[in-house]
Amino acid sequence: MRLGEPAKMQSSINITPLVDVVLVLLIIFMVMAPQMRRGPDVDLPDTQKPASQGDERGRILVSIDDKGGLWIDEEQVTPENFGEALRAAVGDEPEPKVVLRGDSRLNFQAVRQAMVAIDQAGFQGVGLIAKRAGADAKGK
Amino acid sequence: MQFNTDGNGSNLQSEINITPLVDVVLVLLIIFMVVMPLLMEGYDAHVPRASADVAAQSEESQLVLSIGAAACPILEPPTGEGIPEDCRVTLDDQKIPAGELPARVADILGGQPSEKRVLFLAADDQLNYEGVLRIVDLAKSGVDDLKIEFVAAH
Repeated sequence: MRLGEPAKMQSSINITPLVDVVLVLLIIFMVMAPQMRRGPDVDLPDTQKPASQGDERGRILVSIDDKGGLWIDEEQVTPENFGEALRAAVGDEPEPKVVLRGDSRLNFQAVRQAMVAIDQAGFQGVGLIAKRAGADAKGK
Repeated sequence: MQFNTDGNGSNLQSEINITPLVDVVLVLLIIFMVVMPLLMEGYDAHVPRASADVAAQSEESQLVLSIGAAACPILEPPTGEGIPEDCRVTLDDQKIPAGELPARVADILGGQPSEKRVLFLAADDQLNYEGVLRIVDLAKSGVDDLKIEFVAAH
């Protein structure tokens, strides 16, 4: 045995498997992120300069799918009990803000009627959600 | 000399240091996990409380933008970006091409205090929602903090 040999043993942790796992997790999250949104699949309109509407937490998400069906968060509601369901969705939120995710294939009438219904339920102003043109289309 | 150098070369660290790479990737992972699914972008819009509100304000300079289905036939989701060239809208009783909207809105509302920067938008019910939203986008790009009120089209 030579004296120099123990110093040549590998003393650092092999982090290659760690990197593998982390990269795979990263890719999974990148791919899954657009599908993790609440509510139905909505093809949001493309526009040039939408302003930030903050994040989804603390917002009431109203969605209109391409058939004109109304959704509050994850549940589909009928137009008749929309206002009631919307007020029920507020819960103990101090400053409820409603955002409207309308499908780009809808005509304006469906969106306007939903806005009027939201207003009649006692919420002033809605955020009309769009996606920035050129952003990926994975949200479909 | 030559042989000595070769002998030393095997002791040099030949592996890439991947610790900074791991740091960056972990931070990216955390960003994607926390932020990505939750951010939204869009436009604030309002519906007038009652028609009386609109009537009361109409005495002053109320800026109305009308989009008719005949002059601006966006009945299907527009393809590509922007809006069709032939789309004409009515701003303040004047028919203008939609492309001139940012400049016109800036002209009229640019000098106003921000609480008076209100645009009343009367869009035809048959129009495609995406087309209407793109026109809203155009109008908003002319003036900062423009407030949009959707009124019923006549």
